[in-house]
Amino acid sequence: MEEKPEEILSLFSKSEELLEMFRKGKAFTEELMYENERLRFRIVHLEKEKMDLSATLMREVERLKLESTQLSQKLEFIDGRFQEIEAENKDFAMRYVEVEEQNESLANLYVASYRLHSTLDPSEVVECVKEILMNMIGSEEFGLYVVDEEMNELVLAGYEGEIAQKLEGGRVRFGEGLEGMVAESGMPFFTEDTGEGGEVCACIPLKIKDRVVGVIAIYRLLSHKTGLTALDHKLIELLAGHAATALVSSKLYAVADRKLKTIEGFMNLLRVR
Amino acid sequence: MKSVLVVDDSSTFRQLLCMSLSRVEGISASDITEASDGQEALEKIKEKKFDLVLTDIRMPRMDGLELVRQVRGDIGKDELPIVIISTKGSEDEVEIGLSVGANGYLSKPISMAKLREMVASLLH
Repeated sequence: MEEKPEEILSLFSKSEELLEMFRKGKAFTEELMYENERLRFRIVHLEKEKMDLSATLMREVERLKLESTQLSQKLEFIDGRFQEIEAENKDFAMRYVEVEEQNESLANLYVASYRLHSTLDPSEVVECVKEILMNMIGSEEFGLYVVDEEMNELVLAGYEGEIAQKLEGGRVRFGEGLEGMVAESGMPFFTEDTGEGGEVCACIPLKIKDRVVGVIAIYRLLSHKTGLTALDHKLIELLAGHAATALVSSKLYAVADRKLKTIEGFMNLLRVR
Repeated sequence: MKSVLVVDDSSTFRQLLCMSLSRVEGISASDITEASDGQEALEKIKEKKFDLVLTDIRMPRMDGLELVRQVRGDIGKDELPIVIISTKGSEDEVEIGLSVGANGYLSKPISMAKLREMVASLLH
C-alpha cells in the first residue's frame, strides 16, 4: 500500500510534535524532579533548623526557668529584707518617739531645775515651784508647805486654789492630816485618781538627804488632765530634791544677807562715832 | 528666719517654750521675743513685725483673750497667727479662745511635739 506524500508529511509532522511534547515532558519532569530534590533538601534543612531551634528554644526555656527561679528567690529575699527594714523602720520610729519624749522630759527638767536655782530670793523660789506645779505638771489646786522646826509644824508658803481658806492659820501639825503624816514619815503619797472633790492626789516631802524641809501637796489637777504622767512623776521627783535645796539655800542666804547688812550698818555707825 | 513672740507671766514656762521653739525649723533662739503680759506684748507687736504669737490667757494687766481681741480689732492684724496656751482646757474655754480670733489652742501642760507641729504648720 502506497501512502501519499502529504500523509507522510503530516505523519512526520505529528511525530515531530509528539517528540517535542515528549521533550517538553522530559524537561518538565526533570524540572519537577529537580524541584522535588530541592524541596526535599529544603525539608531536611528546615527539619534540621527546626531541631536546632527546638534545642535552642529548650535551652532558652531552661535558662528562663532558671532565671525565673533565681528571680523568685531574689524577690523572696528582697521581700524578706523589705519586711525586716519595715520592722526596723517601725522600731526606729518608736525609738524616735521615745527619744523625743525623753528629750522633752529633759528639757522640762532642765528648765525646772535651772529656774529653781536661778534665784536666792525665797519668795521667787516659791513662785518658781508654783509655776512648775501649774504650767508643767498641770495642778489646779496645791499647797507648798515649809517646815517650822521650832513649832514642829508645816507652814503654808505658797498655794493655788482654796486650800488657804480650808486651813486654820495656814499651819498643819506634824503627824496631822496627810501633809503632816508625809512630813513626819518622809514618804511620798500618790493616788491613782485625779483628786476630784478636793482629794489629795499627790503629797511629796521636800528633802535634803533625810531631813524633811517641806511638803508639796497636789489636791487637784486641771480638769482636762486625767492623771499624772511619767514626766509628771519625774518633775515631782525633781521638785522633791531641788525645791528643797533651793528653798533652804535661799532662806539661809536671806538670813546671812540680813545679818551682813546689820553688821555693816553697825560697823558704819562705829566708824562715824 | 521667722520671729515669734512668747507671752506668759511665768518665766519658767516662757523659757521652756523658747527652748522648744528654737528646735522648729526656721526659728532660732535670737528670733524669739518674750513678754510677760498682754500689754507688753501689744506694745511689742506695734513696734515689730512677728510671724507668730504664742500667748497664755491668765496674765496681769491684760489677759491673752484681750490681747487677741486687740490684735485682731484695734491693730487689725488679721493675718498674724496666734496660738493660745492656757491651763484652761475645757471645750467652752477652747471655743471662746478660738472665737476671739486665735488660730490654735493648746492646754497646759502641753506636749512640746504638738506645739512644734502646730507652730510649723502655721509658719510654713
